Amino acid sequence: MYKKVIPLLFLLFLLTAYSLPQSTDTLATKEELSEVKGAMEGMNETMLEMKTTVDALKKIKVSGYLQAQYQVADSPGVSSYAGGNFPTNVKSRYSVRRGRIKVNYDNDLTQYVIQIDVTQSGVGIKDAYLSIMEPWMRTASLTAGIFDRPFGFEISYSSSNRESPERSRLFQTLFPGERELGAKLELNSAEGLFSYINFKGGFFNGVLNTANENNRHKDFIGRLGFQLPFQEENLAIDGGFSLYSGKVTNNSKYLYSIDANSSTKQYIVDSLSSNYLGHIGRTYYGGDIQIYYDIPPIGGAALRGEYITGEQPGTSSSNVFYNPSSANTPVYKRKFNGWYLMYIQNIGLKNQLILKYDVLDPNSDVEGNDLGKTGTNLTVADIKFSTLGIGWVYHWDSNVKFVLYYDLVMNEKVNSSASGSLAPYRDDIKDNVFTLRVQYKF
Amino acid sequence: MQKGETITVKGSDTMVILAQRWAELYMSKHPDVTIQVTGGGSGTGISALINGTTDICNSSRPMKKTEKEKLKQRYNTLGVEIKAAKDGLAVYVNESLPVNELTLMQIKAIYTGKITNWKEVGGPDARIILYGRENNSGTYVYFKDNVLEGQDYSATMQSLPGTAAVVNAVGKDKYGIGYGGAAYGKGIKFLKVKKNENTPGYDPTAENIKNGNYPITRFLYLYTRSKPSGAMKEYIDWILSPEGQETVIKVGYFPVR
Repeated sequence: MYKKVIPLLFLLFLLTAYSLPQSTDTLATKEELSEVKGAMEGMNETMLEMKTTVDALKKIKVSGYLQAQYQVADSPGVSSYAGGNFPTNVKSRYSVRRGRIKVNYDNDLTQYVIQIDVTQSGVGIKDAYLSIMEPWMRTASLTAGIFDRPFGFEISYSSSNRESPERSRLFQTLFPGERELGAKLELNSAEGLFSYINFKGGFFNGVLNTANENNRHKDFIGRLGFQLPFQEENLAIDGGFSLYSGKVTNNSKYLYSIDANSSTKQYIVDSLSSNYLGHIGRTYYGGDIQIYYDIPPIGGAALRGEYITGEQPGTSSSNVFYNPSSANTPVYKRKFNGWYLMYIQNIGLKNQLILKYDVLDPNSDVEGNDLGKTGTNLTVADIKFSTLGIGWVYHWDSNVKFVLYYDLVMNEKVNSSASGSLAPYRDDIKDNVFTLRVQYKF
Repeated sequence: MQKGETITVKGSDTMVILAQRWAELYMSKHPDVTIQVTGGGSGTGISALINGTTDICNSSRPMKKTEKEKLKQRYNTLGVEIKAAKDGLAVYVNESLPVNELTLMQIKAIYTGKITNWKEVGGPDARIILYGRENNSGTYVYFKDNVLEGQDYSATMQSLPGTAAVVNAVGKDKYGIGYGGAAYGKGIKFLKVKKNENTPGYDPTAENIKNGNYPITRFLYLYTRSKPSGAMKEYIDWILSPEGQETVIKVGYFPVR
């Protein structure tokens, strides 16, 4: 009996000895697990709260780019469309051509956009608009505020992406600043018919981007576009037709136009008192095309072209649209046409070769020889210009690119008897410009 | 791209294992070619293609029109789309959950937050815990476009990096639901998915995906900026060859050829 009890007691002792610490360990482990679980749940709650905050912050998108450049002109003080006129006696300069900061609150169907431009000239507003898309088809959207005029291709093609440093003379003349105050409707979709055809159009003040309205008319600007991708052929053909239909208000009683019946081409004046505060048409018709083609292994190539014709009300000295700051400024009506053709060849990943030719004939009723004829009243605003641009773009990385570009500017030669401000244009004036630009984009 | 150079591949997390297997096999037979594969999501891969930091982008969704526009602006090309495999997008729940099938409408209602309790779809009286992918993921976009029909995900959905993380979370959460590539679905329960109330539910099996019975299927894509040439062309041709497509099956996806 004694022999049997001793081992049993020993076994009981062993079991107790092992089970007591085990129970303590299990309890501790359970407590620790409970603590970890609590901590995990707490972290989960914190993460969900943070996610709400992060999701809200992700809707705010900040982007921008800065273009610093060095330019050399053929001669000091030249008028230039390669980033503005050179000051008197200046033929080379450094400048910050564009310093953009864009803030976009993107709430999927609605957007709020502000863009400012910071350069050595100061700070200016570029964009300030809101956009609302309908939720059913996600095809139609309404935009209101200050934004790009919906005309042609080159206006809406961002300066940060554009291969040539500046837009063509044609666009700088017809649409200075590119933007305008107004409201537009846009039809565009990722699928269905509106993936091939798109429309954007609306009504605008018809003055300058941030200027207040100064007449009772609203100008219509619109573009009907198409996009034809031929994926198998590595080819895409895009294009569109645009219309600008607007009016300016004459703040004088003088209305000048070219005398079509006379052999001597010059302006004649209509000075009826009813011309004062009369409305003069500002009408442009445009067509644009962009062809993209992949040339392996060199890279993609693009050929882009635009043609615009119409009637432009200007002043004696300017072929920019009539929007005078001083009272009693006569209106000069000009029929104009202009176009550009641009070829871009990607060479590998980092390099692009650019060739661009643009023409603006601000007064298609007159020839070079008509300008400066003795006794005529045509001005420098009637001279036709063409520009051949040759350039090279090097993409350093996804943020930085360098642009080398040369603008070879050619003016129509005026009559040999021209005098005064027209006299220098008897020959091709020396106004070519070389640009070396570096851009940082984020 | 010349032989002896490195081919970089970036994009879809869904495709990352498949892409790694392709690369390993190809490099073992072509020691002169180095292929670097990274994930990050389809959106990240497409951005890298546009930024010029990858040669090939893996994407589990087609490129958007806006992304193609960016390629066109920068490279003057449309991009080249190559369908490399097919995938069924599975909907997972925890093995213990007594729900076995859902209609597409029910899945949409669950993920948009209109159905929030399992009892509304024949399950227990418990809150549905949503797991999904981050918005740079092609799976996220595909599911949103094709199952949620463009509607927003519920704000309560927990976004996780990678389908494996979704599977892991659902495996540990008995009231969780998640979605992702069928190839990742080991260890948890796939729901049968019904096109509507009147059709039978189907599992995301090879047969159901091939014959089109399973309603949530998609292609897995490779994208390049330009028409591939040189070593890159040879690699892509190999992916589409019987050997490359056999790898697709081995990893758990479905061949396109």
